[in-house]
Amino acid sequence: MRDVQSTVVIIPAFNEAQALPATLRELCSVRPDLDVVVVDDGSHDATARVARAAGVEVLSLPYNLGIGGAMRLGFRYAVEHGYERALQFDADGQHDPSEIATLLAPLDDGADLVIGSRFAGRGDYKVGRSRGLAMRLLRSLAMRLAGQRFSDTSSGFRAFSGPMLERFAVDYPIEYLDSVEALVFACRAGYDVREVPTHMRERTGGTASNRRLRLLYHYIRVLVVLGCSPRPARRPVPRAAEPAEAAAR
Amino acid sequence: MNQRTQFLLLAFTTVTLVAILRLVRSGKLKAKYSLLWITLGVAMLALAALPNIADRVAEKFGVYYQPALFFVVGIGFLLLVVIHFSYELSRMENRVRTLTEETTLIRHELASVRAELDVRPDERG
Repeated sequence: MRDVQSTVVIIPAFNEAQALPATLRELCSVRPDLDVVVVDDGSHDATARVARAAGVEVLSLPYNLGIGGAMRLGFRYAVEHGYERALQFDADGQHDPSEIATLLAPLDDGADLVIGSRFAGRGDYKVGRSRGLAMRLLRSLAMRLAGQRFSDTSSGFRAFSGPMLERFAVDYPIEYLDSVEALVFACRAGYDVREVPTHMRERTGGTASNRRLRLLYHYIRVLVVLGCSPRPARRPVPRAAEPAEAAAR
Repeated sequence: MNQRTQFLLLAFTTVTLVAILRLVRSGKLKAKYSLLWITLGVAMLALAALPNIADRVAEKFGVYYQPALFFVVGIGFLLLVVIHFSYELSRMENRVRTLTEETTLIRHELASVRAELDVRPDERG
């Protein structure tokens, strides 16, 4: 029997044929113990082929659903195949596989969603000024709604617990900037969300999905979604406190 | 509102109503989508057929130009119809998305089952 819980690494990929092979090679050599599934989000290039050649599982979507849609499919796959936890990992090689352990550790401690932050101290990730400003605004809004402080709301380096997976498999913000929505949603639904500092690298290939107008559109869309999100019935109680409370009664 | 306007409105709404009902009958338009249209048609018909009502309502709401009342009613209903469409569209999008996920998972499953069968060719008889 394995003493480690079964974990699957979900890699959403859209036109990442260039960067993907190297990413997969590194990931599989650093963490051969983890299963990997690449969700090919309707790519026009050889993404699915290079992923299959690398010997990992590949889910090929017939058309582009957006990163959130790709992730939801990944969550469904994880749940249907009985994985107890999952990890989101970027196809473009900006995440460091040796940081996976950092991300998984809080799950053992009862966390449901762990976010690898680019800004919480470690690493030397840089963003432009306007992007930085936009991210700051989004972050402060997310903080107010989530009732918790995060230094990086849009990181795509995240780990999910079993219960979180099951929830996200049916109910996940399906469009771009999904990470912010998911974060707020998880906090409001009372899940234990934590942030750990991680080191990130510059992108090795592919194009970042940051075309200005589209980004603006999605940015405003997320503001609307967050603005419309219902108030939580009560403040989320940390899970660990619940049994003690019940015993006190 | 003079007779000619009234006649025009009557003819127009009648034709539209009949067209919608025929579409529903032939199954080309789902009844649930026709409900708002039919309501709009009947309301317009009533207003056109009984100009007294139109006059009174217009006066009550401070509309000095009766035909404007038709625009108000018409645009109001159109708004409802469009909102209804957006609602249905969102629902459809969700369903298509789920179906897409489902087919992708099934294709993956199928491929792995096939691969499994291929490594045991002698069992195929």
